[in-house]
Amino acid sequence: MKMTPELKKAKDNMQPGEITSEGFLGEDKRELVDIIEQDEEMMESLGIDYTDLVEKMHHVMNEGRKGLGEPTKVDGKWDVRVDESRGFLACPFEDGIFRKINVIVKNMENDEEIIFTDMSVHLLDKHHFHQGKGTNFRLDPKKLKKVFYD
Amino acid sequence: MGFLTAPLVVAILTALLAAIITIVDSIVNNYGEVELDINDGSKKIKVDGGSPLLTTLSEQGIFIPSACGGRGSCGACKVKVLSDVGPILPTEAPLLEEDEKKNGIRLSCQIKVKDDIKIEIPEELFNVKEFKTKIESIKDMTHDIKEVRLELLEPNSVDFKAGQYAQLIIPKYGKIKEETQRAYSISSVPSDKNHLEFLIRLVPGGIATTYVHEHLEEGQNLNIVGPFGDFYRRDTDATMICVAGGSGMAPIKSIIEDMYEKEMFDREIWYFFGARSKKDLYYVEYFEEMQKKMKNLHFIPALSDPEPEDNWEGETGLITDVLDKYLKNEINQEKEKEGYLCGSPGMLDACIKVMSDNEMKEEKIFYDKFA
Repeated sequence: MKMTPELKKAKDNMQPGEITSEGFLGEDKRELVDIIEQDEEMMESLGIDYTDLVEKMHHVMNEGRKGLGEPTKVDGKWDVRVDESRGFLACPFEDGIFRKINVIVKNMENDEEIIFTDMSVHLLDKHHFHQGKGTNFRLDPKKLKKVFYD
Repeated sequence: MGFLTAPLVVAILTALLAAIITIVDSIVNNYGEVELDINDGSKKIKVDGGSPLLTTLSEQGIFIPSACGGRGSCGACKVKVLSDVGPILPTEAPLLEEDEKKNGIRLSCQIKVKDDIKIEIPEELFNVKEFKTKIESIKDMTHDIKEVRLELLEPNSVDFKAGQYAQLIIPKYGKIKEETQRAYSISSVPSDKNHLEFLIRLVPGGIATTYVHEHLEEGQNLNIVGPFGDFYRRDTDATMICVAGGSGMAPIKSIIEDMYEKEMFDREIWYFFGARSKKDLYYVEYFEEMQKKMKNLHFIPALSDPEPEDNWEGETGLITDVLDKYLKNEINQEKEKEGYLCGSPGMLDACIKVMSDNEMKEEKIFYDKFA
């Protein structure tokens, strides 16, 4: 995959201070395409299907919202807290805007925890972008496996 | 020395190019002095054109609420623009309702002041100021909520209505390369004009809450902007139905304490506070004491998922279910009611539905709308 003009624009939008103060790339020095490709390879080697994962994340988020801001148990497997903040964020790939919804999910069987946002799910679903290493919202494939599949 | 020649030439050329760009930019983007007319001549100010309206106003000491610091993501900085400032930008469109678009409402962080401009803003925004403060104390209220008390230094006093909010200006720290503003409800009483208190819950990954919980220290200076908001007690004798969870305690505490100080003991207040388990509850003993002093205050804490060791004998279940039960069975059906809500958009929506289903009028339900 090449750095198309669209990907270059997305990379510009991912810098700190453009859409979020922290940005989407963290300390990651790799090209955006390399981040995406390497995470896709890792997901394949772990046997995780993006569509299935995104379905699980939506399910957990929707059930977690029923806790009205307090942590709640979902399917007896996950402990989920959903926080909603003021306003919206635009996708760095410029194909949508999303409410600021933070979801903290803990797999109660192994205590592995991950944080994702409404937009993170979109970034995985439509762009296979897990965010750069060192960001607060990076969705590391191995961590995703531990939280959603173990 | 020859090996230095090429980098030196490149450095000089780069510096020259940067200087040319700066000069051209100042000529092309120099809009000169323009007039800012606020509220039909109520305030007329001469300003340098070229900057976003939000910044231009704040440089003149007029602060429009903004929760994202001007990035066009929160939609809080809406103002009515009466002059032609061009079409609605793609960055504004998703954050404006159709009737707002028709009525000239724009995001002040997105439109630039290039020419004389007429705008309308609520008169109370003239009361909004930037305050230099010192952190007097930081207390743990629960495992993830801190109470932060600020002493106002300059100006050293503030007038606000119980229920309003202010914006904390979070400085750059760690990986965060830009100053950030976030809005929090004031939890202290308006009579204490030299201090402000806030209840701040940690949102993992959140820029401002992480700063408050992990970096902010007593004695440190912090700037804030405020007060903002139209969430405050309406001066009627309707029964007040207050609902909050987590740090949503802040404005309700301020409102009830204010009523106590003003000896408004006749008005009936029901305060429903939701938490998951006992470790998420706070100020319970305080409000139990307040109940003894305010004969018509009813404080109902409820736990959605109490731990066995909590030995909880109070209400259990989601706060909306508890609210529904009380509206049907405990609270006088005949008396007019007003709702006062503070929490996440999801909680507000759920509470508004319960209240509406129980014949409360939507226009009598007040909250600080997040989006």
